[in-house]
Amino acid sequence: MKFGPRATSVAILAAAAVALSGCASSSGGSSSGAATDTLTIGSLSNITSFDPAQAHLGHQMPLYQAAYDTLILRKPDGSFAPMLATEWKYNEDNTVLTVDLRDDVTFTDGEKFDAEAAKANLDHFKSANGPDAAQGGSISSVDVVDEDTIDITLSAADPAMEYYLSQVPGLMGSPKALGTEEVKTVPVGSGPYVLDAKASVNGSQFVYTANKDYWNKDLQKFSKVTIKILADVTARTNAVVSGQVDAVLLDAKNGKQAEGAGLEQVSYPVDWNGLFLFDRDGKNTPALADVRVRQAINYAFDRETMLEQLSLGHGEVTAQIFGKTTDAYIPELDDAYAYDPAKAKSLLAEAGYADGFELTLPILPGTEAIMAMVQQQMADVGITVKQEAVPQANYVTDLQAAKYSAAWFSVFQGEPWVAIKQAIGPQAAYNPFKTTTPELQEAIDAVQFGGDESGELAKKVNQYVTDEAWFAPWYRIDQMFYVDGTKIAVEPQAQQAIPSIYNYAPAS
Amino acid sequence: MVTFILKRIGSGLVVLAAISCLTFFLLYFSSTNIARNILGEYATPEQVAAKQAELGLDQPIFSRFLAWVAEALTGNFGTSWFTNESVVQAISNRLPVTLALVVTSIVIIAILSTLIGVAAAVKRGWIDRAVQIAAVIGDAIPNFVLAIVFVTIFAIQLGFFPATSSIQPGADGGAWVASLTLPVIALVISGLTSGAQQVRSAVIKQLEKDYVRTLRSRGISEGVILFKHVLRSAAPAGLTVLSLQFIGMLGGVVIIEQIFALPGMGALAVQSTTLGDTPLVMGVVLYTVIIVILVNLLVDLANGWLNPKVRVS
Amino acid sequence: MTEPVQINASTATLARTSVFKRILKNPMGLFAIAVLSIMILVAIFAGWIAPFGENTANIGKTLAGADSVNLLGTDSAGRDTFSRLVFGAQTTLLSALLCAAVAISIGLPAGLIAGYYSGPFDSAANWVVNVLMALPGIIVLLTIRAAFGPSVWISMIAFGILISPGYFRLTRTAVQSVRNELYVDAARVSGLSDSRIITRHIFSVVRAPIIIQTAIVCGVAISIQSGLEFLGLGDPTVATWGVMLSEGFKNVYLTPTLLLWPALAIGLAVGSLVLLGNAVRDALEDREKVTVSKRNDPPTVALQMQRGPRKRTASVEVGTEKHLVKVSHLAIGYPQANGTLKPVVNDVSFTVDRGEVLGIVGESGSGKSQTAFSILGLLPPEARIISGSIQFDGEYTVAPGEDIVNQSRLSELRGKRISYIPQEPMSNLDPAYTIGSQLVAPMVKVLGISKAEAKKRALKLLSDVGIVDPARTFGAYPHEVSGGMAQRVLIAGAISCEPDLIIADEPTTALDVTVQAEVLDLIRDLQKRLGVGVILVTHNFGVVADLCDRVVVMQAGRLVEGGEVREILGTPQDPYTITLLDSMLENKTPMTMLVSQGGTKS
Repeated sequence: MKFGPRATSVAILAAAAVALSGCASSSGGSSSGAATDTLTIGSLSNITSFDPAQAHLGHQMPLYQAAYDTLILRKPDGSFAPMLATEWKYNEDNTVLTVDLRDDVTFTDGEKFDAEAAKANLDHFKSANGPDAAQGGSISSVDVVDEDTIDITLSAADPAMEYYLSQVPGLMGSPKALGTEEVKTVPVGSGPYVLDAKASVNGSQFVYTANKDYWNKDLQKFSKVTIKILADVTARTNAVVSGQVDAVLLDAKNGKQAEGAGLEQVSYPVDWNGLFLFDRDGKNTPALADVRVRQAINYAFDRETMLEQLSLGHGEVTAQIFGKTTDAYIPELDDAYAYDPAKAKSLLAEAGYADGFELTLPILPGTEAIMAMVQQQMADVGITVKQEAVPQANYVTDLQAAKYSAAWFSVFQGEPWVAIKQAIGPQAAYNPFKTTTPELQEAIDAVQFGGDESGELAKKVNQYVTDEAWFAPWYRIDQMFYVDGTKIAVEPQAQQAIPSIYNYAPAS
Repeated sequence: MVTFILKRIGSGLVVLAAISCLTFFLLYFSSTNIARNILGEYATPEQVAAKQAELGLDQPIFSRFLAWVAEALTGNFGTSWFTNESVVQAISNRLPVTLALVVTSIVIIAILSTLIGVAAAVKRGWIDRAVQIAAVIGDAIPNFVLAIVFVTIFAIQLGFFPATSSIQPGADGGAWVASLTLPVIALVISGLTSGAQQVRSAVIKQLEKDYVRTLRSRGISEGVILFKHVLRSAAPAGLTVLSLQFIGMLGGVVIIEQIFALPGMGALAVQSTTLGDTPLVMGVVLYTVIIVILVNLLVDLANGWLNPKVRVS
Repeated sequence: MTEPVQINASTATLARTSVFKRILKNPMGLFAIAVLSIMILVAIFAGWIAPFGENTANIGKTLAGADSVNLLGTDSAGRDTFSRLVFGAQTTLLSALLCAAVAISIGLPAGLIAGYYSGPFDSAANWVVNVLMALPGIIVLLTIRAAFGPSVWISMIAFGILISPGYFRLTRTAVQSVRNELYVDAARVSGLSDSRIITRHIFSVVRAPIIIQTAIVCGVAISIQSGLEFLGLGDPTVATWGVMLSEGFKNVYLTPTLLLWPALAIGLAVGSLVLLGNAVRDALEDREKVTVSKRNDPPTVALQMQRGPRKRTASVEVGTEKHLVKVSHLAIGYPQANGTLKPVVNDVSFTVDRGEVLGIVGESGSGKSQTAFSILGLLPPEARIISGSIQFDGEYTVAPGEDIVNQSRLSELRGKRISYIPQEPMSNLDPAYTIGSQLVAPMVKVLGISKAEAKKRALKLLSDVGIVDPARTFGAYPHEVSGGMAQRVLIAGAISCEPDLIIADEPTTALDVTVQAEVLDLIRDLQKRLGVGVILVTHNFGVVADLCDRVVVMQAGRLVEGGEVREILGTPQDPYTITLLDSMLENKTPMTMLVSQGGTKS
């Protein structure tokens, strides 16, 4: 009974989709005639500008990947493959990266892709002051070697450069369009799809059609791709359950509904969830300067129960911030701090805080449940948590301005060097008090100059910050990605919140 | 007549100026983190400073306001800080959705509340009591609560309608109808009950007038009395209520559009205010205020047409 | 004799009954007060009632169903829904009150000052009000929230400011209307300071509307606040119904009841506030009706259908068909709350012949107008014919035994054969249409002539009734002519379709003395010229002496005396007639009840 009307409406929608795609394919002509050669994704993030230098990693990537190719392709498992760059290699001391480029690619405005174009893009990226500009911080110059080769010279070795060239810095736009007003709203790249500006509304949906002259048909699997911006998780759930979108990122609780509606779940760990204990030098909260206090906080959390209650068990408990897919991962550290409130209390007593202390944590709308649990469990060991409401728009700023000694956050687990620059290094975005020690700095330097070994060397950094309880991670949370398996097949993308645009294919 | 309109437009412009001033200075308080929020979490302090200079956020508030006014006077409302879309473009993309939603609702409310209100005033009895009770219930349930209930039942459970909008540029009429049905019903229900109640009391008030008895004594039929004389005199009260509802709805759709993920002005307002996107917020506020002023002007003109006494003075 | 005493007694008790008691008597009001009282008590004693703290989380038990520990289950953080609902009442109601308090403290004094002193403050305040009213409220609230953080209290203070024009306008209008009234003047003359006058006299006038407005404002505040919180813009550290609603919507798939409880609480609270506002208004209006208003005509709605099977009209008594109008033993009554009929006209009989002028004389409330309207068939719908009959030109319009006027029979006659000249000229013309169109329409309808011909006739009629420039008057709107002119227009309307009977209800009372004589002359001339029968309802024997052939005198619904005008004027028999005549001879219009008898209907 319950499925009757929905089935009807799905049928109607499907009929409409067929009718629409019929029109599209008759004009486009590239389709194989399959019922599903269109893809509709629900995205929770909007874009700032279609200027490739203004892109931001993570949720925004598919919106840019549709229109722009990157120099290096990051495959779903996280390994790197040629794309606009055919080959790349470092010099001896890892400070110059020589990149060979394809010579058969043109942008959609007819401009040719060559070494000059690649240089123009990287120079533009460095000067455009985009959100990810820091990723290009180590690039000191880009030089054209010949028509299809460039040298990227680094001020110091940067173990993540390959990764960066597969992300925002690697997005290549037509040199003619870069820096213009138009490119902010209409992308001009060489990617598999072309934005249909007339059918798109910023903040609501972006419609792309297949780029007829695309050089790599293997990466172009649909005749039309629509990305709907649905910031609210309930709206995304409604959309995917009612068949308005084919693929969408949900959370564990809404996922249940999607499963009930017969959608296929694709889950993979990307983020770690837990507390950042920022004030390790005790500037604002003296108690946090004591490693025993930080360890006590780690022991105070019943990670299993939290995972079960907050995310219905979708994830793995851990006490380290480095991800399983990285070389820095140390399996034993996952249970370095097993739930032990008694131990927490005695550690606090040893540190001279037998009566506890007060800790102010910022709280975001939507994280009430998480904060309620934090407050409860901290109270159980004697730490009084005071919650302070912070609007979404100010949260990150307030954290980075060192307004809070500790805070909850959910951060993606990138490549070791990316993670170090994100949360551990003295200049890291999430190290607002700029805490460091000589011992740690030595380990970090080893990673930076470690060349091929750097991943392995990062284990030492991991061990250090876990032992010193720089953080109180709880678990790696599963991204709960849902697709309509009857229409779409998708592969998850390592270390990225949502799959790359290349990872989708029509269901076979 | 012309002077009246010119006068009203003049005073409207003054109000507009006052409101833009007020809003701009209010936004100043929320603009502290703009550059950081545009650039994202990994931007360095130098990047943030550069961005601030680029947006002119390093300037004192007064010169920022003057710069904005100077641009706005030439018709340039700038581009959104967060999406780089031109403000005019962003609004002209969103306005049709909101207007479709609000105007459809208002038209339905106008027609239905006239019919029901007149019926209640004339027939009294059960229909009258039903209208009175419905008015209380309609007032009691905020329309967004109704909308939530509708989405849950009719879109999610039963699947009769899309739960989120399928309205997009180039979308066909069917998509518009399907997307707007539930939100329009939610808006109509809460507006209709009080609308009908107002029409009812306005009609009753007119029916009590002496001239109605005189018209009857002249042998004029009840239908003519009701629809030619009574309704015309009751119309100004009804129009005023409708204009208030219209203005109220322009705000109320903010929540409704959020529930149905409709790409309208409301969603734009929420996005731009939460981000502190000054150019866009200013655009949204100006457009809304202009619509409010226009609606009030239209209502006054209509009332003048309906009531010759007002027309002269 | 006992009946009016009863009315007086009940009037007195009603006046003494406090408004509050009246609200409690109204079931809706009682319900509203009960719900709100419970909510307020719950809010006050939240700490004792709620088994858990508003943010106390049982992390092992999230999204649980109802059981003996968690009466309404738990939310996604394992917090007790019932406890949060209870604490939510505290925050939600308090914030609504805060909003109303801010609005009152701005709107009320501003309105008092602007209304009392007017002048530059008034214009300035009005300008500010216009700005505030044009502001898109929710967008402003969103901006304020972005600027000052997600505090419930700041939002509600801002909303209070936005909504204060409501109080301002209310107070200003009330004060303006009271300012120039006699007792305020008297107070001013007697040397009371402005502030004393404001607090003592004016404040008492605006008190009641402000209570009503506050109930409405609190309801709106709760809706708006919940709406903002639903958008996820609330303060997550404070339990409010809006925050709970938002939380419920997020978990609507897993635990729909999480949505139900706060939605229900919001609906109940807002609904009760609306009901309370209505009940207060009704209670105040009731009191005004009973104590202030003497003129209490129910609306003259004549739309109701003939009840029961359509009967063939009975034939009139043989020999009486020669009378143009014959009223026999007519009694009219109105249903009372206790189910009985209160008579306002009792056993009235008279006849009018063609070309004859009959005066019906009596004071307000004597039933003379009721009698006249019963002939026209324009009694209020609730009026009942208790007994008697009315016949017109040999056919019953009210046959013996019928309890209402037969509309289908009368609609044939009204306008065509019976017409009407009302008392108050200005209010009897529709202000929205020109005089011409109001004259033309009945002629087109009744006489079946073309519009052009009707216009020609109308112009002729206007000149017949002594209007100097008929064409100008024809095109004018009612407010553009004088009262005397309007009465001439109404008389022209009354004779436009060549009736056999004109019923004139105090046709000169509302006019200036000089105009009165002219209008009376006009009626007399027309009556002579057209040979129509006239029923002239008046309280003035002078008018009777001037125009009428015969007269009947009514008092308290009964006919006390009747006969040739000369006879009655010369040798009145009834003491009441004598008193009336005396007052006329002293050249006074009886302003007050001469005798302590009388109904409330006029």
